[in-house]
Amino acid sequence: MQFGERIVTLMAALVLVLQIAVVAQRWIVTHIRIFAIQSFFLAMIAATIAWFNHAPHIYAAAGLTLVVKVILVPIFLERLVVRMDIREEIKPIVNVPLSVVISGGLTLLGYLVAESFHKPDEPGLGHNELAVAISLFLIGFFTMINRRKALTQVLALLSLENGLFLAAISLTYGMPLIVELGILFDVLVAAMVLGILVYRIRETFESMDVSRLRRLRG
Amino acid sequence: MLLLALLLIPVATAAASFFARRPKQMEVDNLAGFGLVFLIAIALAAQVLDRGTVSLANGFFHADALSALVILLTASVALICATYSIGYLRDDRQSGELGDDPTGKEQLGQLRIYYTLTPLFVFSMMFMAVANNLGVMWAAIEATTLVSVFLVTFYGKVTSLEAAWKYAIIGGVGLSMALFGTLVAYYAGRRLAGSDALAGLNWSVLAQHAALLDKTSMRLAFVLILMGYGTKAGLAPMHTWKPDAYSEAPVPSAAILSTAMLNCALYGLIRFYILTSRSLGPEYPGRLLLLFGLLSMGISVPFILVQKNYRRLLAYHTIDHAGIMVTALGLGGALGSLGLMLHMTFHTMAKSLLFLCAGNVRQHFKTDLFSEIEGSVIGAMPLTGVIFLMAMLAIIGMPPFSLFQSEFLIVRAAFDGGHLIAGVLFVLFGTGVFAGALLHVGGMILGPHDDASVAPRRPWRDGSLLALAAALVVIGFWVPAPLLELIRGAARVVSGL
Repeated sequence: MQFGERIVTLMAALVLVLQIAVVAQRWIVTHIRIFAIQSFFLAMIAATIAWFNHAPHIYAAAGLTLVVKVILVPIFLERLVVRMDIREEIKPIVNVPLSVVISGGLTLLGYLVAESFHKPDEPGLGHNELAVAISLFLIGFFTMINRRKALTQVLALLSLENGLFLAAISLTYGMPLIVELGILFDVLVAAMVLGILVYRIRETFESMDVSRLRRLRG
Repeated sequence: MLLLALLLIPVATAAASFFARRPKQMEVDNLAGFGLVFLIAIALAAQVLDRGTVSLANGFFHADALSALVILLTASVALICATYSIGYLRDDRQSGELGDDPTGKEQLGQLRIYYTLTPLFVFSMMFMAVANNLGVMWAAIEATTLVSVFLVTFYGKVTSLEAAWKYAIIGGVGLSMALFGTLVAYYAGRRLAGSDALAGLNWSVLAQHAALLDKTSMRLAFVLILMGYGTKAGLAPMHTWKPDAYSEAPVPSAAILSTAMLNCALYGLIRFYILTSRSLGPEYPGRLLLLFGLLSMGISVPFILVQKNYRRLLAYHTIDHAGIMVTALGLGGALGSLGLMLHMTFHTMAKSLLFLCAGNVRQHFKTDLFSEIEGSVIGAMPLTGVIFLMAMLAIIGMPPFSLFQSEFLIVRAAFDGGHLIAGVLFVLFGTGVFAGALLHVGGMILGPHDDASVAPRRPWRDGSLLALAAALVVIGFWVPAPLLELIRGAARVVSGL
């Protein structure tokens, strides 16, 4: 159990590092790949927990995550990028070094919030995982505000969901399987719906810069 | 059995419309499907009145008076919009709004999108109302957003894409907060779950053992849920998607969005309010709800006063009414809950009627702006004009219409409960909305009486308007006893009294 917990903590740390890497890089394709790797680690965390706690329903959640968030969604988004032929840099509002500092601050905030959930006398994962989950959520929000490219916002929305997945695992060893199924189905459909929408916006505005969407006022 | 039929029929309708080859087939499919759903909703309401709750599949599906009321309202709006949209979309097709492809293929594709997505939209709302598991309920609410995004982009204009983008992204962020809230509530009830993890998120289980829920976690859960489902309901300051989406979607879809879907978002909020108030007492959630409710009412006032576009005016009106209902929920107690449920019923009728009238105006005058309407609505379309004005008077709370009663009840709940400031603000904002809406809409409808071109007869659209208007007038004087019993039952579910 000790060993399993260490592996899980290590992978959670990697997930957090990847989230900050998203803030630091500027290419959309890289962003999609980082999202895929991050989702892969989440699935591995789930599988590790399933193994050490003998909880078969978490295996199913891990497998579904692998199929939807590591394979289907990234493939779909990469195809979209190829079809729209966008390779250009993402221009963030806040520059990269400052963004990384802000992400660090948000991680600290995540730890503070997670502390209030920490009850040493209860079985369950350490508060490290929950802190990482909350940080993912907060950094996802920040990315959404900071980047004005439509596709980046979709990816940020998906990473919010990754944060929730980790929170679910660390708080309650995952949601019931049927709920997990519903959530992943929604994630898949959401990625597709938003992808189509991005494509149409790109065709109409010849840009993905959502700050150009400003006709509707008042 | 009824619950299953309620879910299967919309799916079957969607499938039938998807594979239909001619517009007429799609129209018939939708009309028949929603007619059946309406009948089932009535039967379900009768069964709930008879037995208290109806459940299926070990309590996976669960309907009490609150669900039955929301289902009945959704089904009624869906049916009336189905009849209306037959005339509406035929008009759009003739006037070239759906593209001018001479072979008609493009138009058929558009119609297929509308007639397939609308039943799916209704399906996800029904699924939400009968899901006992709070996680499944969340997934169904998220599905309502995803399904309706392409209804907002229906006309494919630049502005519709913008509206759909805001709708999808703001809704997505909001709902991810709601999912976080659901998760924290699950955590709060982890001691109840036992070996059967699925039941640990069942509302009926959590509500029964609400006293055992972890109190600190419930506090956090409620805040997250309020932000999340509040975004979906369009509470200020998360309301910005609303006027855009409502003014870009086809009018029948906007009518469903602003009534049935609003009810669904509030339904999710109400379910968590019940859990939170049973666990922490009504004080804590009540205060937060009052804050957001009054803020939404207040924010809508200036936007209504200076509004230039009548469909956006109706949207801000819906924000105002979402605020009214959330305020009523925050006041709570027997009186507040009853006011809330009455208001939900009356608002659903009046607001859908208003949107349908606005659709008629839009199709005749080809504009959304007050200033560009030449002549008066009443001169061009006497029936639409009269009903529009009547519905407007109803929704701003003029007696003898029913919304006066529900708003009066809510104000009384405020003063009885000692919420003096809330009561005063409620009346104040109500007056502002009253003045603004009457000024604009009255001017548009009565307007200068020059020789406006008279619109031709529109049997499908005018028939729907007449039926709904008649129902609205009748309900102002006499609410059928079973419906009143259902509303009271739903209020009892909320207040627990």
